[in-house]
Amino acid sequence: MTTDCRRSFDESLLSGFLDNALGQQDEQRVRVHLEDCSSCRAQVAELRGLREVALSSRFELPSDDQWDEKPRGGVSRLFRDLGWLLLAVWIVGLAGYGVTEVWTGAASLLYRLMAFGGISAVALLFLSVAIDRWSSYPLDRYREVRK
Amino acid sequence: MDAEVAALNPAPEVSVARGRVADPDLILRARSGEAEAREELAAHCRRSAYLFALHLVGDPDEALDLAQETVIRLLGALPRFSPERPLRPWLLTIVRNLARDRWRRLRLRRAESLDAPELDLSRHLADPASDPEHDARRAEVRRALWTGLSALPADLREILVLRDYHDLSYAEAAKVLGVPIGTVMSRLHRARNRLRGRLVAERPDLFSEARQGGAGHDD
Repeated sequence: MTTDCRRSFDESLLSGFLDNALGQQDEQRVRVHLEDCSSCRAQVAELRGLREVALSSRFELPSDDQWDEKPRGGVSRLFRDLGWLLLAVWIVGLAGYGVTEVWTGAASLLYRLMAFGGISAVALLFLSVAIDRWSSYPLDRYREVRK
Repeated sequence: MDAEVAALNPAPEVSVARGRVADPDLILRARSGEAEAREELAAHCRRSAYLFALHLVGDPDEALDLAQETVIRLLGALPRFSPERPLRPWLLTIVRNLARDRWRRLRLRRAESLDAPELDLSRHLADPASDPEHDARRAEVRRALWTGLSALPADLREILVLRDYHDLSYAEAAKVLGVPIGTVMSRLHRARNRLRGRLVAERPDLFSEARQGGAGHDD
């Protein structure tokens, strides 16, 4: 037995060994090394001690009455989604109607320009958010995870 | 010597945390819209969701919101879920994504880094006095561990929490984090070593307790 570590494998395998997560060959390599290396053996023993302390930790949980929101059922969710869809259609339709009325009506040029400016501002803001979302999309490695 | 080395990685046991596996039949019944099954599944999932959220965000109210939203989303997406798949990685992935969205909003609002939420997780540990099996010293080790964990960067904290507090396998943790299993192993080892180094430096007296494998599983 020696304290002079001559490990020939990546150190992270020690954690793999501790967690029983190695293949047979790697496990054997680590096992043989540990039999001869007291410093690595001490390290694994320390990590194991920490893991056991962690696993035994308990945390305060919310009381039952804090879980006040009941899980929504399929029908409730369907109605809510439908409601949002109808609201969106209504807003777009109303805005479109308003713009058409102002533009084709007897409104002065000033009113027309104000309406056009307002709509343009909203459209630009929307576009800006859409571009930001789009540019961050390829970098988001969690995008394929369904929420 | 063989026995000493063998004791370092005993055969895997089904721990209390890992033992809480959702019954596939329960998932099937919940999928079919049975109200009682949905409630039962929600109750089953919310504890894990809350604890993981608490570990990530550090605030109990925020964690409760995240856990509730997680359960709602999980139930909403149940029709797309295969009961043969393990439920916990999916559940914890939802928690993590919601927490990331929250951080993103905070970052936009405060121009802060994603890795910058200030946590003081140790104060949410259950009172050791409520459990006669805990002695004060062991509780102190836990608090020191949590304080050290709170100071880790988010990616190291996540992997350590998933493996050493939620007892996920490497494959499950890889699924939650969206990284290869090799990355899980190396990141986990880095996290453990950094925590160990901190504890050795700051509280060598406490660390000798952990070194001896001081605490047993006591749920």
